[in-house]
Amino acid sequence: MAKGRKVTVVGTGNFGSTVAFILAMNGACHNVVLRGRDIDKARGKALDMSQAANAARQHTVVRAARGPEDIAGSDIVVITAGAPRTPGMSRDDLLTKNAAIVKKYALEIKEYAPESIIIVVSNPLDAMTYVAQKVTGFPRERVLGMAGILDAARMAHFIYEQLEYGAGQIRATVMGGHGDTMVPLPKFTTVAGVPIEDLLDAEQIGEIVQKTRNGGAEIVNLLGDGSAYYAPAKSTAIMVESMLRDTKQIHSCAIMLENDYGYSGIVSGVPVMIGAGGGEEVIHMTLKPLQQERFAKSVAAVQEMVDKLYELKFFDEEA
Amino acid sequence: MAGRKVGIVGAGAVGATAAYSLVMTGSCEEIILFDIAEGVAQGKAIDMGQAAHYSPKGVRVTAAKCAADIKDCDIVVITAGVPRKGEMTRADLLMINAKIMKEVVEDVAKNSPDAIIICVSNPLDVMTYVIHKMTGWERHRIIGMAGALDGARMAYQIYQKLGYGMTQTGDLVIGEHGQNMIPLPQKVQIGSVNASELLTKEEMKQIIERTKNGGAEIVKHLGTSGYYGPGRAVAHMVEAILDNARIVVSSSVLLDGEYGYSDVTAGVPVILGRNGVAEIIEMELDEETKMKFKVSIDSIREGIDTLRENKFFN
Repeated sequence: MAKGRKVTVVGTGNFGSTVAFILAMNGACHNVVLRGRDIDKARGKALDMSQAANAARQHTVVRAARGPEDIAGSDIVVITAGAPRTPGMSRDDLLTKNAAIVKKYALEIKEYAPESIIIVVSNPLDAMTYVAQKVTGFPRERVLGMAGILDAARMAHFIYEQLEYGAGQIRATVMGGHGDTMVPLPKFTTVAGVPIEDLLDAEQIGEIVQKTRNGGAEIVNLLGDGSAYYAPAKSTAIMVESMLRDTKQIHSCAIMLENDYGYSGIVSGVPVMIGAGGGEEVIHMTLKPLQQERFAKSVAAVQEMVDKLYELKFFDEEA
Repeated sequence: MAGRKVGIVGAGAVGATAAYSLVMTGSCEEIILFDIAEGVAQGKAIDMGQAAHYSPKGVRVTAAKCAADIKDCDIVVITAGVPRKGEMTRADLLMINAKIMKEVVEDVAKNSPDAIIICVSNPLDVMTYVIHKMTGWERHRIIGMAGALDGARMAYQIYQKLGYGMTQTGDLVIGEHGQNMIPLPQKVQIGSVNASELLTKEEMKQIIERTKNGGAEIVKHLGTSGYYGPGRAVAHMVEAILDNARIVVSSSVLLDGEYGYSDVTAGVPVILGRNGVAEIIEMELDEETKMKFKVSIDSIREGIDTLRENKFFN
């Protein structure tokens, strides 16, 4: 008989905790492990969540990892660890700091959970996904970055604000890197099948696209002490559940491109079919010249960060 | 909407499945079932009341002894009518069901005068029109369940073809609820990807055909109409209204100039909220779709005209 599923969440800050909490509330898997630097904090949160699961009549048990060996046997490992973005800080500022943190946990995963699927959410997202893939050497379908689901959810919310109807029915599309160069695609965006171009004028759509690009920063500025985590955590949980339940749903995710959209050997956000095997298939859409141009710009921005890591001989230290 | 009370007239398979679905999700506080066949509403109400023990929220389910007991409902779902049998076309049902509808509507108008009516009886668009004529109510309070079901059937066909994207597929179907329905797979998305990227023209055609044939296919196997899909589709609409969700659901509504037509009911995308239809959405239709929409309208008008010729509205 198949054993119950196990999901490890690395990082016990707001983001990681919220991911774990959603999984526990949904009874998405039998075991959730919290892996963080501060073991007591992880234990406290694990106890609190396990008790909530009982209140919700769910079977999920949340435990804290006392060391890296406790992540063994994980089906999925979510890496949320990393320094948060503070006001005024760009995603790029985080690059070297978080690359080192992601590398540390990626090596742990490679050793203790070599069969797992990794979902990276640390920023800058695309570069960190690249780091996790390179450091583990896992096949690309087992290393995904969470970005497009969140960006699309933000875009959908801004469309809702404009329309004041259709909440939960808006299917927005965002491709490219998770950053200032993301590529929202209003042409591929509908409300219950109705194209938003039938519902909003070009100026309104332009505003929505701009707000989407600025979606994360807006929350950072308001909160003052960190970045958003409810929508990011829900978006991550959707990916986890899609894998656990082998739903084969299409979600925009960051993945190592291999002859996709004209690129290879670089990570960017594209529609991916998610199932038990992770990112099982990259879905190819036909992009218009302007969209292609924006996608190219977005890929170039990620490439620049990756190049910077190579300059710093970040990957050499592996040898 | 203090009580969130839903009346269901006709506790056959569709009505009962709609009620059961509402009980299982805990979407309303009270459901009252009525059926002309003695004991049916009572028996099903007791059964559902017991199933409610495992529902996340308690829902009271009772049975009406007579039609007058369907009172003070926020929403009344009318499924009453003779079901379609194997060879029977929707048009065959017309006169029989119009007469049943007339009786039902008189009771509803008297006992739940502030309700929103969801019509499920076939032929759907014509029956929805009959309710408009019989009640004389504002048009936003009378809604025919059509696209909610046909859209789900289209999404199912798309999934059957692709093998992925379940629950992520758009569901836009407009026009008549019947042989002239207009599934629009070319408009929808699977996740964030347009269907036209994933399906060939030929596949799209098959999906349209299978969607149109969706009801008949089930009749062929079961010997009677499907009810899980219709029941859940009704519940979806009830939830949208009770929750003031303001979501877009294709539904049969009385047109007043929209899409170029008036004084006829047909399926179009509408926003469902607290008051029923909050708004009718006018999409840009291409020439081919416009033509198909006209065929739908003509077919519905033919049904209405048949009733007129038989002096039904006099």
